[in-house]
Amino acid sequence: MSSVLLPTLLLVIAATLLTLGMLAAGMLFGPRRTSAVKEMPYESGMDPIHDARRRFDVRFHLVAIAFLVFDVELLFLYPWAVANRTWLAWLNQANHTEHLTAMAEATQAVHVNPTLVFAEIMVFIGILAVGYAYAWRKGIFRW
Amino acid sequence: MLLALIKIAILLGGLMTAAAYFVLLERRMAAWIQDRIGPNRVGIPLTNIRIFGLGQPLADGLKFILKEEFTPSHVDRALFVAAPIVILVAALSLFAVIPVGSFLPSKVAGHPLSDGPIEMTVAPGVDAALIYVFALSSIAVYGVILGGWASNNKYSFLGGLRSSAQLVAYEVPMGLGILGAVLAAGSLNLSEIIAAQADRGWFALLQPLGFVVFSVAAFAEAARLPFDLPECEQELVGGYHTEYSGMKLLLFLVAEFLHMITAAFLMVILFLGGWHFPGLTGSSMALDGWGHPGELWLWGQALVRAGVLLGKVFCIIVFFMLVRWTWPRFRYDQLMSLAWKVMLPLGLINFVVSACLEQLQGTLGYAWLRWVAIALAWIVLFGAWIGVSLLGSVTENRPRRPAQPLESDLRA
Repeated sequence: MSSVLLPTLLLVIAATLLTLGMLAAGMLFGPRRTSAVKEMPYESGMDPIHDARRRFDVRFHLVAIAFLVFDVELLFLYPWAVANRTWLAWLNQANHTEHLTAMAEATQAVHVNPTLVFAEIMVFIGILAVGYAYAWRKGIFRW
Repeated sequence: MLLALIKIAILLGGLMTAAAYFVLLERRMAAWIQDRIGPNRVGIPLTNIRIFGLGQPLADGLKFILKEEFTPSHVDRALFVAAPIVILVAALSLFAVIPVGSFLPSKVAGHPLSDGPIEMTVAPGVDAALIYVFALSSIAVYGVILGGWASNNKYSFLGGLRSSAQLVAYEVPMGLGILGAVLAAGSLNLSEIIAAQADRGWFALLQPLGFVVFSVAAFAEAARLPFDLPECEQELVGGYHTEYSGMKLLLFLVAEFLHMITAAFLMVILFLGGWHFPGLTGSSMALDGWGHPGELWLWGQALVRAGVLLGKVFCIIVFFMLVRWTWPRFRYDQLMSLAWKVMLPLGLINFVVSACLEQLQGTLGYAWLRWVAIALAWIVLFGAWIGVSLLGSVTENRPRRPAQPLESDLRA
């Protein structure tokens, strides 16, 4: 267990204890009176017909799929977003008038060419945008 | 370990108290806006001292404890109890990596408290802090959908479905807004993001469009009006917590308030400069006591920084409450088109523009490019504003098929 994450674990445990303690306090001190009406699902005073778990609109499913697609694609961008500033700083350490040499040095130092990676990210977003336009055209976002 | 436990105790106590008193503040503000008086009676028991209703949260808490802890027979028992626990534990645990100030000096009057400056975060130095925040805020969806499903009630079920679709839809623009801030700061650690802003200007200034997209998404994630469709009481009674009562309902309500507090903290930390205020707090990450020697100055600076951050958070929360009584609720289709057809493209535009500007500054390295970048970012914001208002009809939901004439009309 790394010492960095230990306080996080402690907080999760403390929060769980607090929550359970609150529930327990409610159970200890609250009254207990039950009645047939109280046990019924609340439907504004009507007697409920059918179970509540019925078929529902397929659009909720489409939203979930669209979310998965876009959120996972976003997660791919995070590592680059974190690393990019460091790469650019390396680039800038060299004098910017000797731009090409600096670029070559930076590329050697980190085995990465920031401009090339940037271009790749833009291509990635371009493909994402095409997919987005397709999804829109297909009517996934129509509610 | 001991330090972490002390911080946890202060954090949990502070959060629960803050949630309770923000409820009172919200009720007083609602009363003020609607020209009522609001809760102003409860003060010290057995006396006639009212102290502006400051006893109200305590009385409310006591009443929740004394209410029946009722679980109806038609529900799925295990999930029904698990849902509020999951949602509140996630909402509290999220604060592990959120800084409430910068540092505290390590000494009081010569006595060392710790071997270094004490960071005002429960878990300092977590590199993937934003990912952790993002992950735990997504767990709220589980609590909501479990509660809605387990209740076995049609209102709860519909509320849970709506709510999960809403939370999920607005997570994409929220992620895009965060991505812009991460790109500008080059770190996922919230303290470092604040330090980057103290150094180079608040990100709300550098990426105004990103700030707007993130704020809208944060309102939706916190399910505050105008995005409170999960529990719109006029349509769905209580949404996913219709069947809940007593302490379990309290857990849901506290979690909802904590989501709002989290959203306010994230807006302040990611875009509004955290503890930084020009000319007041100093802009280096470490405490410098405004250049004066002595612990007193260090303590003063530490307190000013914490005060600035919490003051900003307070202002954002008041803004949340003002918005609640200013805008009417969206219709569900408007909510969905706003997420997918407006906020998502705007977030992408913000990300692409700020990435290009960042790259341009980084590779060319001219100092004046910074001002050009800020000007361009603001032009993009106003361009986006005009664009959205011009293209408003694109995002509108037209009927999918023309209305069919009624059979009686055809016969006539």
